Amino acid sequence: MADTILTVQGLSKAFGALRVAENVSFEVEEGEILGIIGPNGAGKTTIFAMLAGNLPMDDGQIMLHGQDISSTPAHERSRLGLARTYQVPKPFTHMTVFENLKVAALFGGGLEEVECEGWISQVLDLTGMASARDTLAGRLPLLLRKRHELARALATRPSILLVDEVAAGLTDLEVDEFIALIQEIQLSGITVIWIEHVMKTMLTATDRLMALAGGRLIASGAPQDVIASEEVRRVYLGV
Amino acid sequence: MTPEEFNIELYWSLIDIVNGLLTGSVIGGYYAMISIGLAMTFGVMRLVNLAHGDFIIVGAYLAVVMLNFLPVSPFFTLIIVVPLMFCLGYVLQRVLINHVSVQAMERKGLSTNYGLMAPILVTFGLGIFISHLLLGIFESDARQLKNSLAFSAIRISEDLNISLLRFIFFVIGVIILIALHLYLNRTHAGRAIRAASDDAEISPLMGINTAHVYGLALGISMAIAGAAGVMIGMIRTFQPFDGPQFLLIAFGAVIIGGLGSIVGSLVGGILLGITQVLAGTYFGPSAQLVGGYMLILFVLAFKPQGLFSR
Repeated sequence: MADTILTVQGLSKAFGALRVAENVSFEVEEGEILGIIGPNGAGKTTIFAMLAGNLPMDDGQIMLHGQDISSTPAHERSRLGLARTYQVPKPFTHMTVFENLKVAALFGGGLEEVECEGWISQVLDLTGMASARDTLAGRLPLLLRKRHELARALATRPSILLVDEVAAGLTDLEVDEFIALIQEIQLSGITVIWIEHVMKTMLTATDRLMALAGGRLIASGAPQDVIASEEVRRVYLGV
Repeated sequence: MTPEEFNIELYWSLIDIVNGLLTGSVIGGYYAMISIGLAMTFGVMRLVNLAHGDFIIVGAYLAVVMLNFLPVSPFFTLIIVVPLMFCLGYVLQRVLINHVSVQAMERKGLSTNYGLMAPILVTFGLGIFISHLLLGIFESDARQLKNSLAFSAIRISEDLNISLLRFIFFVIGVIILIALHLYLNRTHAGRAIRAASDDAEISPLMGINTAHVYGLALGISMAIAGAAGVMIGMIRTFQPFDGPQFLLIAFGAVIIGGLGSIVGSLVGGILLGITQVLAGTYFGPSAQLVGGYMLILFVLAFKPQGLFSR
């Protein structure tokens, strides 16, 4: 059995009276792709924000590689190998793609200047961004922005990558490309947690699925079983 | 009017214009030094630093203290004043301003409008504190940094001179701008500053410690403010409460040039300088400031984002 890379215990967060995460606990195994589904407002992105350190949690514990990172600031979590992408890509718009990745590689990846060039080329090749290397990131079309978002996260040399909805608004063909890309990322040894609404991605690409609703974990297990579970059907279909 | 008289008339009006452009540009370089720091902190961390003018005056007084111990040319005080101001800025940002910054307020879930107010109020208070502290230490006597160049001029023609000191400051201002540009574009720390300025939420996810980066930004801003203070002290007298007038100049240059744009603050400074000198030439000395403010109003009315806004 693979080692546990990430352990989340009793994660809780409330904005005033609104509870966006309530006692969420789960473990992630090294090398797997864990999918997270749930209706809008279920607390998926909030959990990512707390894992990455953008948002302080009210209660709970996060362990990465057996190390407690609950109160570690975001930039140190990045250096420890945690990376996050956003549903709406957020490139550094005034920098070129290369510069974006260089910042990520230097600070998050801890690379030396001389090592950057080769590493970034590798990442650009993997993500199919090589031709956009010197484009200003703010000028990228949406599809490339999404790839760029992944590329920059990868440039920090993560051991675990949090992917927030890349498939929304894409054609079937484009979705397939992203599934292939995420699977390649997994093959390169990176653990992936993937939030997505597009069911196809969750059913074909993930090893395991978790379902959230109202800030609580309502189901977890093999993708087919989770989708078929009573609780999930009730939340999604109201039956 | 004889042809001869006409020629003399024409000659002098040409001299007026050339003098306005030259002196105005040179003054603009000095305005740029006053304003780069303000543009930088706003550009990097959306900090509207109302204590900026007081930092400039602190630089001048630090030179006064140093010259008390070491009677050297005021230029040499830059060796101490600039790094010292950098350290003060870094520490100030980390221990105080980072805790009341727009970003800190956003983290606490306060709206941006509210969040913008907190650092403005804090730096406003800081400015009052600094000026009173200076008053307590140095009393209200006008000071000056005595130097041998104060009355030297560069003679371009018989009727056209520019102040040597002002020209030196212009050159130093341009050098600082170029150095800053290279620093931001070629060094690791500079890239981190640009990234943090681009997106404060994402930068930490790329391993960038924004608290440190903001410290660097205020450090650089104050280092340049300190250098500007030393130069101001060489041109004119100063007193503990002179800060706000430099803050106004800085705001003027930054508004004209574009918020957060470093090149903009040079161009804004030069335009402001030229406008002031020409207004003074044609409408009398009292029109100088009015002319400058008219330009600022004009820019605000027709291009409120500034000429070089990003």
